[in-house]
Amino acid sequence: MSEPNNQRVADPEQLHDQFNDVWGNPSGWKSLTIVNHTTVGIRFMLTGLGFFLFGGLLAMLVRTQLAIPGYEFLEPDVYNQVFTMHGTVMMFLFAVPMMEGLAVYLIPKMLGARDLVFPRLSALGYWCYLFGGLILCASLLLGIAPKAGWFMYTPLSSAVHTPGPNSDFWLIGITFVEISAVSAGVELVVSILRTRAEGMALNKMPIYAWYILVMAMMIVVGFPPLILGSILLELERAVGLPFFEVARGGDPILWQHLFWLFGHPEVYIIFLPAAGIVSTLLPVFCQRPLVGYRWVVLSILTTGFISFGLWVHHMFTVGIPQLAQAFFSAASMLVAIPTGVQVFAWIATLWVGKPRYHVPMLWLVGFLVIFVCGGLTGVMLALVPFDWQVHDTHFVVAHMHYVLVGGMFFPLLAGIYYWLPHFSGRMPSLRLGKWGFWLVFIGFNLTFLIMHWTGLMGMPRRIYTYQSGLGWDLPNLISSVGSFIMAIGIATVLLDIVLHFRFGQKAPNNPWDADTLEWSTHLPPSAYNFVSLPPVRTRHPMWECPDLGERIDKGEFALTVIDHGRRETWGVEPLTGKVREIIHLPGNSWLPFAASVFIAIMCLGLLTKFYWVALAACIVAVAVLLRWSWENGAHPLAAPDARVQPGEPPLHSRTCDGPGLWGMGVTLLANGALYLSLLFGWFYLWTVSPNWLVPDDPVIDQRLLLASAVLLSVAVFWQRPVLRHLRQGQGEPATLIACFAGVALLGVLHAALLLWALLSGDLAPRSTAHDAVITVMLAYSLVHGALASILSALQALRVHYGYVCKRTPYEPLVVEQLWQYNLAVLWITYCSVVLFPPTFGGA
Amino acid sequence: MQPLRSPYNPVHIPLGLVLWSIWFVVIYGGLSVGCSLLPPPPAQGQWTWLNASLGMLSVLTVVALLGLARLFQRAARRDRATQSERFVARLAAGVNLIGAIATVFVALPTLSLPPCL
Repeated sequence: MSEPNNQRVADPEQLHDQFNDVWGNPSGWKSLTIVNHTTVGIRFMLTGLGFFLFGGLLAMLVRTQLAIPGYEFLEPDVYNQVFTMHGTVMMFLFAVPMMEGLAVYLIPKMLGARDLVFPRLSALGYWCYLFGGLILCASLLLGIAPKAGWFMYTPLSSAVHTPGPNSDFWLIGITFVEISAVSAGVELVVSILRTRAEGMALNKMPIYAWYILVMAMMIVVGFPPLILGSILLELERAVGLPFFEVARGGDPILWQHLFWLFGHPEVYIIFLPAAGIVSTLLPVFCQRPLVGYRWVVLSILTTGFISFGLWVHHMFTVGIPQLAQAFFSAASMLVAIPTGVQVFAWIATLWVGKPRYHVPMLWLVGFLVIFVCGGLTGVMLALVPFDWQVHDTHFVVAHMHYVLVGGMFFPLLAGIYYWLPHFSGRMPSLRLGKWGFWLVFIGFNLTFLIMHWTGLMGMPRRIYTYQSGLGWDLPNLISSVGSFIMAIGIATVLLDIVLHFRFGQKAPNNPWDADTLEWSTHLPPSAYNFVSLPPVRTRHPMWECPDLGERIDKGEFALTVIDHGRRETWGVEPLTGKVREIIHLPGNSWLPFAASVFIAIMCLGLLTKFYWVALAACIVAVAVLLRWSWENGAHPLAAPDARVQPGEPPLHSRTCDGPGLWGMGVTLLANGALYLSLLFGWFYLWTVSPNWLVPDDPVIDQRLLLASAVLLSVAVFWQRPVLRHLRQGQGEPATLIACFAGVALLGVLHAALLLWALLSGDLAPRSTAHDAVITVMLAYSLVHGALASILSALQALRVHYGYVCKRTPYEPLVVEQLWQYNLAVLWITYCSVVLFPPTFGGA
Repeated sequence: MQPLRSPYNPVHIPLGLVLWSIWFVVIYGGLSVGCSLLPPPPAQGQWTWLNASLGMLSVLTVVALLGLARLFQRAARRDRATQSERFVARLAAGVNLIGAIATVFVALPTLSLPPCL
């Protein structure tokens, strides 16, 4: 399958020592600086496990309280906090980060890369996740946890009905954690598209990478609506901007739209990577390729898109026209078809293969049974009349757990057992593993199968107790007993995993006879994964070349020279996998940790209403992030020695198409999703809000807004020809400095005019939702304008220091995307705020 | 990297479902705006200007998606296309076809339900 493209076979031990010098992880306090994907991925998963145990404990409290009627084990207020935190922890602190952590760990190894493309971003994401999660969980220990349910519907979660800091913990903590999710999403998209093994074309990618690519894109587009919603609700609670308050022109249904625009895709964000585990493991345990690779890819894409068209099926009872409900009902049924295609592909793979029933296969079969049942009740709930009947009952709770536990937890455990030799170098035990599975499987079905009937008998969700004699006593007791059996099963699984680190048999190379590249590494793997990077032209490299690991280890393949001190991996063309450049990766650093610490201080400042502390921490965090951006590209700390071996492609920082360009593009996609959600809010309130108040006269000086947009346009069009010349290898430093400094100055003027427009107008953001939305729109452009100006000023400085020039043209091209984005956003804002209202009877 | 207009550029893979998503947002938004500004009388049932507009838009979308599916399918059959290029074109054709089917399925209720009840 692969010919060595570098015949210089070095002494393997010497080679590994050299690689360890560059890639090795420090210990002690300095381990906080580690950015390597293997360590960060494992940290994500261990932290996710910790939060899972916390969330599981909360579930046990809920089930204890509901075991018998009239029980007073928990006070109503505590019960509200416990069930809210159970849902929140499991969805935001366990399911998504766990799946991302596994992907962060596996993707480079499966794709034949040495690390993810933005390792420091991975580290930042991890620390944001950890600190955000701890802040959120601390609220429960303090007795001031969120208590309005995990989807935080307004007006229940608003300041009037939840006046304490409870909801603030959710809004600020979750937004903090979502920095982690989105950063991992950006990281994974760019890594999958740009850092594969040489020759690994799109059609040769491991199927897991397709799942993760779609999941990561869904995170990038799906999380921003909730981030926006959380910001708006926090602004309403903290400073009284009435986005969701009917009396002042807002609408609580807007929150539901923003939440479920995120919330339904979230289910598939959790499910798709789990399905990726299934599609990866089944072929290994059947010892034959996945049936219908292309059909499965097609169904993954279809699932990803259609899942965004279902969000209103969570809102069937709020009074939406029947025809609109029918659209969403149809889309909700439609999404079952691509999922069905995958299920049939898995059954066909089992059918034509020779399945071996080890512990991972037990979890896979359990998944198939439970998930199919959960999917079928999902189709039932897609039918509007049925949904009306069981809305907000335990039937919905049971369905959700069948889909999420069956669709995520079972495949996750299959995957953990399967990749256990990667983490420990040892094999799991069969006996204890089987006990764990059966206890969980029986306990789960006892809990949630019965809960369907409890729901059909009319028991509402989120009530802390119930009267005897309603027919709910026995099913609740059975569900509670089942939940404890399930908990014992999970404890058994954990015990098995802990014990295997001590007593498990040593794992041989490629212990499951798998086909994908992650099994060509050492067990456990080294920090650099592969000492030499092999070409890959098949979907099953380990089946076609069983001794690939040894050949990689001997340094038979590419990029084995490391005396330059750089961390390197291939940068490839997205379609064909043809090598285009060498991507040099940043090493360990305190910067991600420091940035996340200051962001955490900012969040605590906001929670405790010490706004000056929050502002100071925000400024320091931005300064740390700018310092981070400074050590990039041609900076000596980023690439101490820029020479490459004869015949090798250039370093990415010496090209016009490095990964940062892609990273910025994907980040702006997330940013655009946030802005479009805001725009949706504007038009939604305008159309639907019952008390939408449009003033008779314009509330901002429209000439200032126009002047600001014109200045921004001049800045963008000024740098365009300069950057075109830079791409062509032209451009003197003096010209570049003048251009970037001038553009930065124009940016400052543009931002200053926006600030003037905000301060000088008749805006009354606390009085009407109309003015509040305009304020947020202008503030959004103001922040972006200021940021772009700072970045361009830094570019001028970098030209001065020689980090940017015609030989290193890469960075200004990255920044240019932000300017173009800002331009598009400001003109859309201008049209929406200034030109649109007169056509609809406003000022 | 293939030029943007090439049918083998991977950026075209999701095109059909991107179009479907835009169509979906437009019909849901259009329905809401139509019902807010000029709601047809309920007595007209489904035979209203709003249903007709949404239906026409859906038909146009289906035609466009089917045309794109055909375009990519033909590109996939070209002899000079490489294996990976064929993969991209076939995938894009499939996605467009699925987009067309999804459009028809989701739009069907416009034939049977009044818009603003």
